[in-house]
Order: sequence, then C-alpha cells, then structure tokens
Amino acid sequence: MDISTAVTLISIGVTVLFMLGVPVFLVIAYWVLGTSMALGQPLVNIGTALSDVFTDGFALLAMPLFILTGDLINRAGIARRLSDFAYACLGWLRGGLAMAAIGASGLFAAISGSNSATTATIGSMLHPEMVKGGYDPRFSAATAAAGGTVGIIIPPSIIFIVYGFIMNLSINDLFIAGIVPGAMMVLAMIITAFIVSTINGWGYLIKLDPVRVLKTALGGWLGFFAIGLVLWGIYTGKFSPTEAAGVTVGFCVIVGFICLPIYNAMKVDEERDINERGFGEMLVVRGFGPTELPSITMRSAQITGILAPLIAISVVMQQNLSSLGAKEVIENFLISMGGYYPVLFTAMAIVFVAGMVLESLPVTIILAPILAPIAASVGVDPIQFAVVFLVGASIGFITPPYGLNLYVASGVTGVPYFRLLRYSTMYLVSLIIVWFMVALFPSISKTLLPGGGIYETLQSIFGGGAPV
Amino acid sequence: MIESITGAATIFAQLGVIFADVITGSEPDFFQLRSAMRGDGVWLWGLIMTLAGGLLVAWVYRVAPWVDRNLESTLMVVTYLLIGAIIFIEVIRRFVFSEQFPWSTTIPGYLFLIMTWTGCSYNVRLRTHLSFSEFRSKMGRLPQMVLLSLDAALWWGICLLVIVTSMGVVANAGNNFMIVTGTNNVMVWWFLITLPVAFVLLSGRVFQNLFEDIRKYRSGDEPMIEQAVLGGQ
Repeated sequence: MDISTAVTLISIGVTVLFMLGVPVFLVIAYWVLGTSMALGQPLVNIGTALSDVFTDGFALLAMPLFILTGDLINRAGIARRLSDFAYACLGWLRGGLAMAAIGASGLFAAISGSNSATTATIGSMLHPEMVKGGYDPRFSAATAAAGGTVGIIIPPSIIFIVYGFIMNLSINDLFIAGIVPGAMMVLAMIITAFIVSTINGWGYLIKLDPVRVLKTALGGWLGFFAIGLVLWGIYTGKFSPTEAAGVTVGFCVIVGFICLPIYNAMKVDEERDINERGFGEMLVVRGFGPTELPSITMRSAQITGILAPLIAISVVMQQNLSSLGAKEVIENFLISMGGYYPVLFTAMAIVFVAGMVLESLPVTIILAPILAPIAASVGVDPIQFAVVFLVGASIGFITPPYGLNLYVASGVTGVPYFRLLRYSTMYLVSLIIVWFMVALFPSISKTLLPGGGIYETLQSIFGGGAPV
Repeated sequence: MIESITGAATIFAQLGVIFADVITGSEPDFFQLRSAMRGDGVWLWGLIMTLAGGLLVAWVYRVAPWVDRNLESTLMVVTYLLIGAIIFIEVIRRFVFSEQFPWSTTIPGYLFLIMTWTGCSYNVRLRTHLSFSEFRSKMGRLPQMVLLSLDAALWWGICLLVIVTSMGVVANAGNNFMIVTGTNNVMVWWFLITLPVAFVLLSGRVFQNLFEDIRKYRSGDEPMIEQAVLGGQ
C-alpha cells in the first residue's frame, strides 16, 4: 500500500472515531501514530515532542497563567464588577443585559486569555439574570458562547501566544494587532444583540444614570488596573507575555488576599442595589483567602490539562503533515487560485472549515505553518495574516458541529447544544462580516503597530521602548 | 518471544538498579537501561507497565481514596502555583534589584510538563477531554458501552506508546548527564520521568472508568454518559 492510500485510510478512520465521540486528543494521537508508521518515522519522536513542547519554550507558559488569571478575577469578584459596569453603560438600551454580557466578555478577555473561561464566567454570571429579564434562554446561552470568542482576540490571548510561538512572530505585536479587531467583534455582537432583542422585545430597560455608571466604574477599578497593567507591560515592552501573565497572576492573588478582610470588615452586601451602596463599598471586591487558592488553581489546572496535551500532540501532527508534503499540495492549490485576495480568501475558507471540526489550537498549530508562508509569498503581511487567521479560528468556537464555546455555554446554562444554534448563527454572521473587514483592510490590525499612526501617539504618551 | 521477555526483565532490573542508586544517593548509571530500551523487550515492558501498572494504580486508588482524590490534584496545584510564583517573583526581582536567577526561565517549563500530563490523567477520570459526543449520547446503552470500551482500549494504546517512547527519552537524558539550563546539578531526567509515570497514572484512571462503566451497564438504570462540565470537579 502506498503512503497516500495509507494516509487517506488513516484519516477516514480517525474521522469515524471523532464522529463516534472519541476524545479529540486520541483522534489526533492515532492519526499521528498511523502516519508515523506509514512514513517509517521512529516513534521516539512522539515521546520527545510531548516533552519538548513544554520544556523548550518560555513563551508557552503564558497560556496556563492567563487561564489562571481568569479564574482569579472571577473568584475575587472583579469579573462581577466589570459586568456591573457594562450593564450600567448599556442597560438603557433594549437588550441591554445581552449587550452587557458581550461588553463584559470583552473586558474579561482583556485580563484573561481564554475563550472557555470567558464563556463560562459570563455565562454562569449573567445567564440567570437574562432569563429572569425575559430573554429566551437559548439566546442568553448563545450570547455567552459568542461573547467568549473575543476571549482569544482581545489581548492577552492564549492562541496568539501559540501562534507567535510556532511562527516565530513577536507575541507582543500580535497582542497589539488584536486590539482593534477584538473591539470590532464586540461592537458587531452588541449590534446583533440589540437588533435581536428589539425585534423580540426582550429585556427591561434601566435609566442611564451617570452616578450609577461612575459607581460601577469605580467598582471595576481593580479590573481596569489589571487591564492597564497588561497593556502597559506589553505595549512598552517592559514584560514578555509570560512575564505579563505572571505579574497579573501575582497582582490578582495579592488583591484577593488584601480585599477579603477589608470586605468582611465593611460587611459589603453584593445583593443590595448599586444605587444604595456607598462609594467606599464599591471600591472593595470580595477577594479570596489563601485556603481558596488551591481550589481556584485546580479549576485552571483542569482546563490546562485539556488544552496543553492538545497543543503537544498537534505539534507532532504538524511535523508529520510537513513530512507528507501537505504544505506543497496546499501551496500549489492556493497559488493556482491567483493572487493576493484569492489566496487570502481560500486560506480563510480552509480555516473556517477546519474550525468546524477541530478545536482552535490544533487548527492553529496544524494550519498556520502551512498557510502563513503561502500568504506571505503573495504579499500578505505576516501580522495581518495572523490576525485574519486567528479571528477565523476564534469564529470556529461557535461553528457546529464542533464549537467549543457552544459546549461550554451549554454546560454552564443547561441549554441543550443543538438548541443554541439558532441564535449563535446570528452572532456568527456578524462575526464573519467583521472577519472580512479585517481581511480587506489591513490597517484595522496594524493601526496600533509602528507605522500605523496611533502607535506613535501612544508612544509619546506612555514612553518606553518599541514592543518586542 | 524469549528475547522480548528477557529484554523486558532487563529493563525492570535496570530500573530497579537506578531506583536503588537514587535511594542510596549514588549516581545512577543509565547506560544499561538505554541499551535495554533499544532492545526487543521494550514493547512488552511497556505493555506490562500500561496494564499491570495501571491496574496497580487503580487498586491503590480503591484502597486509599485519599490518594485517589489528591495525588494528581496536589501535583497540578503545586506545580501551577510554583510556575506563577517563580515568574512573578523573578519579574519583581528584575525590576527592583536588577537581578534574576538563570533557572527562572527553564524550571517553570519542566513544571509545566508535570502539570500538563498529570492534568491529562485527571481529565480522563473526569471524562472532560474535548470530544464530539452528540451522536454517542443519543445511542442505546449497548453501543455506548462498546464505545466507552473502545475509548479505554485507545487510551491504553496511547499509554503504551508514550510510556515506551518517553522512557527512551528519559534514558537518553540520564545517560548524557543532561542538566537543566541555568542550574548546576538539577538533572533533566528528574522531570522527564514524570511523563511515563503520568501515563501509568492515566492508565489507572482508564481502568477506574471502565470498571465504573461496566457497573453502570450492569445496573441497567444509571445513565452511561453524563454531560461533563469544563472546570467542574
């Protein structure tokens, strides 16, 4: 049997395993095992890769740390304050709570780096309130799922870290390039939530009250400080992404420990209406004690224990794809499509289809090393392509049949997976529109980078060296 | 066959020698182990480690529930917090004192390795590894039982593969006296050996799950597949 026949049979076999519900890690691992044997490669490469991925690169360490950050700000009560602020700003519009959920997802994403953490946190926090406010539970769950997609586009972002790690691009540059597209995704989803809620008459309106906005803004000050710390460190090049993640973790732990006794002493009642609370009460968050730290960490460790093995095995899969000449096949196919835009749009279509059946990390690790050089060869800027690629990968979180955020939202809200799809599709359409805008206008990604105009202005304000 | 049995016995014997050397504080010699790992018996050794080792782990979990509840989770939490603490403290030291330990960028990677693979094992027990389970969840009990058994067999296959190949990496690292960059005497193999160990633990989790599935199947009333919650315990 020749290699191409063997690889085809192996690929069909593992696809059947996937459809039968075998864990994705095993599906990829058996593809790797089968193709390694077909290629006659020594199997010891697999053992080596499963350890080297973690021990050879400092950059990948940012991933578990940004996941932990998400859980820390959630337990400390900072995430709750950010969502209060988002609701105070948007609650006067029809669908305000849904829009607040998306706005809060954007703020949460600016501290955490994980889509599933964003979906789980915002979904578990705001879904009950949205249902109480008259929203369709399917729409509420779909909103949490869609809002989570920005978790990996607004920096810090796990997937940007992985992309930069494997493509040898500056992770800081990638983070900065993700800011405007991430904000556009949030805006597009907010508009969608507004339209859907207005048509259906969902939600009740609260008055736009400047005092309430000011109070909730003060209440979220620790969150804004953490966002500022990450962005300042990354933008000025003071920290590497891993160090920024470590600093944010340290900041959240210290804040959590300091706030808990103050919060208890002040007897802050989170159930009271914000208008009835004093400014002093708003400044302190619930925090957590040292004894709670292991359980918080455990939650993050569990998610890392799912994602990190996928990264490791996907790296071996990518190596085998290179050995099989997949890059040349796709390159010939893409080059035959024509120039800049045909190649870019075909690459986007490949990412979109892959995102329907695979988790975004394997999609990135497997496809980025194949597609990015081809895109570069027709003149697509590497940073611009990275953003286009990763916005597409993030959209994959809500594309069936395999949309991770849909699973997470279903898990935390109790709404069955397939029932989410009606409303998640509406968000999907708005995200695809943003995706095409990002692809068509490179300035969207590059405006905050050197030469983009705004970069120079910000440098003159904040000082510091160029991002590295 | 005889060669395989002899080879596997040699690997066990060499591991015993290394273990004794570590206990007595002697410098372990990996040369013999490395040679044995390249011989005929390595896959038989791996199979024994996967199945007998996994059964032993499952038995320990059964008789010592505290170990069942806390072994992996303790390793995961301790390594996670150490990673965060090392990086945070070293950034502060660099900013305030302009100094930084050279191992502060290498040791966390090895801790990440430990956390990842013990976490992988832990998620097997919780059945939280990502999967597309929509069709499976709608099947009857018998097909579900067959598929859960298929999962177990596939996990054991991967355990066998990783235990054998990663132990070869450990033997090489030990034989070459590889030291963690930035340290003077921290051996790389101390960390790398956690990879095959984690997959023996994982095999134990697979046994636990399979025993539980068989019990549920026989009971006839408990659901075979329940929705797993990410981040749940």
